[in-house]
Amino acid sequence: MIELLATLMINPLPLVRWQQALLLLPLCLCISIIYKTIKCENLREIPMAVLKNWITIVIGMYVVGIALLLIYELLA
Amino acid sequence: MKTSLAEDNPQLRMSVAAVLTWLMPGAGHLYIRERARGLIILVTIAITFWVGVAVGGLSNTVSPGGRSLWFMGQICAGGHALAAWGLGTWVDPSPVPKRDPKFVAFGRSEEISVVYTAICGMLNILVIFDVLVRAEKPLIQAGRTPPAAKGAAG
Repeated sequence: MIELLATLMINPLPLVRWQQALLLLPLCLCISIIYKTIKCENLREIPMAVLKNWITIVIGMYVVGIALLLIYELLA
Repeated sequence: MKTSLAEDNPQLRMSVAAVLTWLMPGAGHLYIRERARGLIILVTIAITFWVGVAVGGLSNTVSPGGRSLWFMGQICAGGHALAAWGLGTWVDPSPVPKRDPKFVAFGRSEEISVVYTAICGMLNILVIFDVLVRAEKPLIQAGRTPPAAKGAAG
């Protein structure tokens, strides 16, 4: 277990492209959680607000990413 | 009722909350008794920062020499960035970066980890502003002049 943790922390993970794209999900979730934790006065509102914000950011980012990829492919 | 020195002195209370938040994101909220909010922030930023470090490796992620601009974002996460920097130097003491940063392509694991940790730092700036506002709030509600307003008036 300690060896696995040390390997994790010392060497970069060999990630392929689709795995790198998936890492957008936890990052967007973190941004949504912090943003909504700051914004919402009532703590009960946070989970639903986080979910809506997370879905919006993720869809927006993937749409922008796909659009840029298409432009790149068309120009190449 | 007996109150602590920080509760009597609003400027001290705000300063302590901001410094605590910089050192450990979420700790300032715990200090001003916003416990649930503080715990959410503390856990979320800590997990995201260290997941980033785990993806890219310690010495590649927080590297003031190799990625000085990114480091400015990362250092806003305070204690996490300092710990990662210290551990990175301990694990790999060579001061020379392995690759010229000009030629590092986007999309590698190292870049993802740098983005993760720098975003944590920038989110912590928002958290610091929030804790300052929340530390000031009880004074406004009690009808006392907050330190910022006193400074502006004076």
